[in-house]
Amino acid sequence: MVCLIISLSSLGQTTISGKVLSSKDQLPIPGVTVLIKGTNSGTATNAEGSFSVKAKAGDVLTFSGIGTESKELMIEADKMNYTVTLQQDSRAMNEVVVTALGIKKETKRLGYSVQEVKGADLVKAREPNAINGLVGKVAGLSIGASAEILGRPQVLLRGNNLNFFVVDGVPINSDTWNISPDDIESYTVLKGPTAAALYGNRAVNGAIIINTKKGTRDKRGFSVEFNSSTMLEKGFNAIPKVQDEYGPGDHGRYAFVDGRGGGLNDGDYDVWGPKFEGQLIPQYDGKRVKKANGGDSIVATPWIARGKDNLSRFIQTGLITTNNIAVASSNDKSDLRFSLTHSYQKGIVPNTELSSINFNSTLGHNFSEKLRFEANVNYNRQYTPNIPDVTYGPNSMIYNIILWGGADWDVDEMRNYWQPGKEGIQQIYAEYQRYNNPWFLAKEWLRGHYKNDFYGYTTLSYKINKNLEVLARTSITTYDLLRTEKFPYSATSYGREEARGDYREDVRKLFENNTELIVKYNKTFLKNFNVFALAGGNVRKMRFNSSFASTNYLNVPGIYTFANSRNPIIASNFSSEMLVTSAYGSLDLSYKNYLNINATVRADKSSAIPGAKVGTYPSVAVSTVVSDYVSLPQAISFLKLKGSYANVRDGGTSSYIGPSSYPIGYGSSYSTSYDGPTYSLVSKVYNTRLDYNNTSAAYYTDNLYDDISTAARTNYEAGFDIRFMKNRIGLDAIYFSYLDGPQIFRNPISQTTGYTALFINAAKYATRGFEVALNGNPVRNANFSWDVLLNWSTYKQTYVELPTDSILVGQLYVKEGDRLDIYQGAAFARTQDGQIINDGGGRPIPLPKNQLLGYSNPDWVWGLTNKLRYKNFNLTIQVDGRVGGEMENYVRRQSFRGGRHIETVQGEKGVARNQDYLGNKTWVGEGVKIVSGTPAFDAVTGAITNYKDLVFAPNDTKTFLQDYISRYNSQAEGNLMSKTFSKVREITLGYSLPASVLGNSFIKGATISFVGRNLFYLTDKKHKDVDIDQYAGTQTSSNLQTPTIKRYGFNINFVF
Amino acid sequence: MKLRLLIFIAVTILLAGCSKKFDELSANPNSPESVPASLTLNGIENGINLRPWGPEQRWNQYALVNYNYYGNQEYNWSGATLYYTTLKNVIKMEEEAIKAGAKDLNPYSALGKFFRGYLFYEMTMRVGDLPLQEALKGTESLKPKYDTQKDIFIQILKWLTEANTDIIQLITSADNTLQGDFYFNNDLKKWQKAVNTFRLRVLIQLSKKEGEAGLNVKQDFAGIVSNKNNFPVMNDMTDNLQFIYVNPFNKYPTNPDNFGFDATRYNTSSTYLGLLTSIKDPRTFVTADPAGSKLKAGIAPSDHAAYVGASPAEDLADMSSKAGIDNGPGFVPGVYSFYGRKRYYSTYTAEPHIIIGYPEMCFNIAEAINRGWVTGDAEEWYKKGINASIGFYGIKEGVNTFYYIKAGGKVVESGDYIPYTVNFSFNDYYSQPMVKYSGNNTMGLEQILRQKYLAFFQNSGFEAYYNFRRTGLPAFAQGGSGTGNSGKIPKRFQYPGTERTTNGANLTEALQRQFAGNDDINAAMWIIK
Repeated sequence: MVCLIISLSSLGQTTISGKVLSSKDQLPIPGVTVLIKGTNSGTATNAEGSFSVKAKAGDVLTFSGIGTESKELMIEADKMNYTVTLQQDSRAMNEVVVTALGIKKETKRLGYSVQEVKGADLVKAREPNAINGLVGKVAGLSIGASAEILGRPQVLLRGNNLNFFVVDGVPINSDTWNISPDDIESYTVLKGPTAAALYGNRAVNGAIIINTKKGTRDKRGFSVEFNSSTMLEKGFNAIPKVQDEYGPGDHGRYAFVDGRGGGLNDGDYDVWGPKFEGQLIPQYDGKRVKKANGGDSIVATPWIARGKDNLSRFIQTGLITTNNIAVASSNDKSDLRFSLTHSYQKGIVPNTELSSINFNSTLGHNFSEKLRFEANVNYNRQYTPNIPDVTYGPNSMIYNIILWGGADWDVDEMRNYWQPGKEGIQQIYAEYQRYNNPWFLAKEWLRGHYKNDFYGYTTLSYKINKNLEVLARTSITTYDLLRTEKFPYSATSYGREEARGDYREDVRKLFENNTELIVKYNKTFLKNFNVFALAGGNVRKMRFNSSFASTNYLNVPGIYTFANSRNPIIASNFSSEMLVTSAYGSLDLSYKNYLNINATVRADKSSAIPGAKVGTYPSVAVSTVVSDYVSLPQAISFLKLKGSYANVRDGGTSSYIGPSSYPIGYGSSYSTSYDGPTYSLVSKVYNTRLDYNNTSAAYYTDNLYDDISTAARTNYEAGFDIRFMKNRIGLDAIYFSYLDGPQIFRNPISQTTGYTALFINAAKYATRGFEVALNGNPVRNANFSWDVLLNWSTYKQTYVELPTDSILVGQLYVKEGDRLDIYQGAAFARTQDGQIINDGGGRPIPLPKNQLLGYSNPDWVWGLTNKLRYKNFNLTIQVDGRVGGEMENYVRRQSFRGGRHIETVQGEKGVARNQDYLGNKTWVGEGVKIVSGTPAFDAVTGAITNYKDLVFAPNDTKTFLQDYISRYNSQAEGNLMSKTFSKVREITLGYSLPASVLGNSFIKGATISFVGRNLFYLTDKKHKDVDIDQYAGTQTSSNLQTPTIKRYGFNINFVF
Repeated sequence: MKLRLLIFIAVTILLAGCSKKFDELSANPNSPESVPASLTLNGIENGINLRPWGPEQRWNQYALVNYNYYGNQEYNWSGATLYYTTLKNVIKMEEEAIKAGAKDLNPYSALGKFFRGYLFYEMTMRVGDLPLQEALKGTESLKPKYDTQKDIFIQILKWLTEANTDIIQLITSADNTLQGDFYFNNDLKKWQKAVNTFRLRVLIQLSKKEGEAGLNVKQDFAGIVSNKNNFPVMNDMTDNLQFIYVNPFNKYPTNPDNFGFDATRYNTSSTYLGLLTSIKDPRTFVTADPAGSKLKAGIAPSDHAAYVGASPAEDLADMSSKAGIDNGPGFVPGVYSFYGRKRYYSTYTAEPHIIIGYPEMCFNIAEAINRGWVTGDAEEWYKKGINASIGFYGIKEGVNTFYYIKAGGKVVESGDYIPYTVNFSFNDYYSQPMVKYSGNNTMGLEQILRQKYLAFFQNSGFEAYYNFRRTGLPAFAQGGSGTGNSGKIPKRFQYPGTERTTNGANLTEALQRQFAGNDDINAAMWIIK
């Protein structure tokens, strides 16, 4: 009998067990398929990476998993237990990602679209703003990085502004500057409402989930990590090219008397003045001599281009340093981590800077196996006495130096900017009506920013049994902001022509609390049938208060207090409060890997929606790993199909909020994150303001409202994830469709009703697109590896249902099927064969209505990252960009009109410009003139309706180039620019000290990296005065921007 | 079990905040749903003031911009600006007054009738037919039908008559509940004069319809002029309905702040300045500075020959180049006269902006007498009008000191103005053949309209243009590229583009009956046919 058993066992099978670990970190890999070669029998590793299979000696086990290498192993006699280490791919499919509410899920079980970026990828060639660092790294996520200090990046996901950030499952309010990259383990981008369905209407555009670092994996139970980056900013990517041959003035004439219109074009001038020929002209710094009959005059001095390269001489090298120290500790009961980050940015504009301190602390403690406590606090302070404002206007150095400033003055001579004897009262400049001395601007016109951001949560979770867990969590997110502006005496700006100084304070406070209770249930039935269910509820409360106060000129120069206001103070305030109660549930069903179904539902009741109707939002996602049950060609190592659906509604809130009112006509008004009520659907109100002689006046609303609901969004997605050649090449592709509507549609009504709009629920828009992530590992061995990741995405937005046949958008009529991103603008009247029609003065005739000039969204967006590793060296190169889309180049428009653009002195224009200066009209614009007939224009489209009555001849009317340009370039059509560009975004060359060098010293690891960011900017040479990178969405015009700069530096990382 | 738990949690959470709390939080704490009527009145009064030196005054050919960047004087008119949203505020003002306990007849309702009349006049004069009966009803009537211009005028006159009657009643009952009126400081008597004076404007604009059935233009006009007790009208300049500029909250549009922008970019127009100099009018010396090139040529600032306006029809490239010609040290640039610096740039409150004024009324009465609508002495009213307007500029009998700015001078420094004297004698002025009233004939009419045009300088909105449109007098410059529209002065604005999409069928019907379906700016509307 015994013999029989032995023989059976030797002939037959025995149970082989083992564990599969990752070669990288020796952590178990779940879900690895273990098969007996040549058979269909086998198993897969469980969550602990363990497997057991019946096999016999001599059998060969094949191990294959998603995102792992494959390995074969022969069963030896007498050895029943094996440990197998597998090398994992860079993008391991068995890894889990953090999804909504902080729930970890296996990527391969997801039916919706997410993409993860490791925090470590963002801390080397770093951006001061962590979110800017995500550019090019996620398919479908498009980031328009602002070049300005504290400028908010435009974060677009599938064409929608994304402003929903979640830290460890808890929504936070973020201006994107209070996210500290050193504390982040990973970013998960939930790409649409399905993925984010559990957050209800807050996540109608998706979400960025941030997972913070916790504890340590170090065997010693503690670790200390120090990371330091220093980068210098130098070398222009985009800077306007200007002419230095002609100075300020008009039609070639200029003479300074008082800089306020007293001379010859000496106030608010253009740069269409005399040529720099050394001739004698009275200038701002000429010697004043008393005249015999009283008064004085200015001694004329040689007119030469003293101010070549004023802008690049004004701009200085920027500096960005970040230092982070983190201490972490873990034992079997507790894990904790403290982290302190300081970063400092010195702007390229003199006297501008930004400091930020971030303190992050996480703590976890297991009171018992069942009860766990977790807490996290993050405090962030941003402070700066001065940030620049480059927005179009006399506040902007670009406006003062480039657009409306000539080369007649030398920026270095503007450093001593007070007039002798009038220190603190009167600046020195070449002009005193409209423009400002750049140094004076930089040193005296100060915009302070002081912001405290705090968020944190505490969580208590209790495992009732191995299937059931209850979690209670409360979190807060809050900020207080103080913005100050010191506007000095003698500075001028729009509406402040008295130039007597001002002081402003913009104060905003937001508080939000979310308290939630979640019950989770997890059980596997009948071996292969797994259920994960969750139910929860959340109460959200928020309150916001803001005030904006300004002096109305100052009495005493330089004293920035409200009590010093010359005229009554201008002040306003805004307050809001919101309550949202929500209930939600989620059910995941899976059968092996064959089929995963995730269904969720959320119901919200919000005070932001009048009537507080309860909105219910369902979602379903389905996925199946086909390669697990269908035999596919050998080249295909993995194939997953996925599809999902969700329906959500907009919350009737606004993502951003500006100052309570902005009585200032210049600069940019700062927006903070808000996500609170707008009251825009509360009808029947008066707008009140101080009007005639500062007395109160009331104006009734011009808008009427039907009983309306907020906009609905239906989201469908379908895609696949396919891998080839033992997962060496992977392609993750998804098609998505948003059907938005019925919208809250501003239905223009006849103004003869007394109102201009009736808001109704109507109109549907569709957004449809593809996102593709392609990754590959062309080379992978012990010493050398090469990983490639290519992200590509595209979408189009169209009108799919309109309340009437066509609707007026701006000045264009659109109909169903038309795109949403039509770019309309002023255009030239043209003959039927496309020639510009000029008027009697030889200048193009503009059409009375805007015309379609193009589409503003990019056709597609791409990002390519190559990571190479050779022994202890690694090199990362990221290139990304966008292709397609049109907009107006506003820098070109204004620098042409102002006469400063370099092309005004080149070629035929250069010849004509010289003749302008000599007083001769010689410029003949392209196109035709009208010989007989009067063009009639269609009242609706603006098109010429009577070509048959018009006789044209080639244009031969001579005019001044200045007047021609003034007309030509003031039409958008004259300044069109493609939005196509690409950038060499980052290059990182790192070296890790090998363990052999470190030996047993206290240093456990050291890496030094040389980094570069934004090293090359490629676009149409003609438009390199603008960095198109900043316009990720439907912007149809550039604004002014600080020139963009290349960034170089190094990063050191020590682990102790 | 799970399901029950889920439902339990859901119900608990959703009921956690009671509905009352939600409703409280839904209300906008930042904007009122009801306000005192006086606050809306303030807004409406702001809304009826058209600012001087704006595009209207360029189309009136009083002032010109020669700088492309700032604009032009081209008549490439498109959609008109209408005032229905202001009228809606008139309705709300009346509602708020009643809500606050006023009687049905109250000062706000009386002024409401005037504002209706005033604003419908402003609107219909721009475009022609407009919705009136069915207008201003919000969602009750989303597509109001257009009333004919004639019916609109009948209604305007009716409102104005009723406003007068109502005000009489209010004055009789000593109602003093009006508040927030910054034009007349809540004085209903002044409002009554303004209402009746405005009615004279409306009637005179109907001169081409003096025999129209259903309108009693002539009789109405005579009825007002001959019954001063029931229809008091303005007696002098203190009765003007005018917007008084106040520093620092309502600065006059030209002022020391913007001189540096305007210095050489705006210049006078030959239509206006040419008329002044042709009749040796002293207003020349107030509203214009002498041209730099003329001073350089040795012409005295007291000589009308030193004052040159540019033709509005001149090509802008030429005008801007000529306005900036360097006359050398000691002379301001240019061959054209700039605006009178002393009056328009040395302070923040140059002059009131007259909305309905006494001089115009005098000329309207003179015109009515000239046309034989009323008996009376046209010359007397004509002279009253001239004197009132000349007086408005501070010109007095005898020696007057005027000022022009010295080259490079600062507008706020009185020492930077060069004084010169001009002797003014009204009799000498008046005895010029072009000025002396030639009787109730065509020549006399032309004289009245010329003086009315001069008195409208930078005030009364589009009135100068409306008079030209009605009578062709005085002649406006046209025919060059400067005025656009292929050298023609248009006769109307188009309807706002939004009407086509929001009220298309009714608009089409109105266009069909007026302009053969074409929203043509060069087509004549009923009132000038």
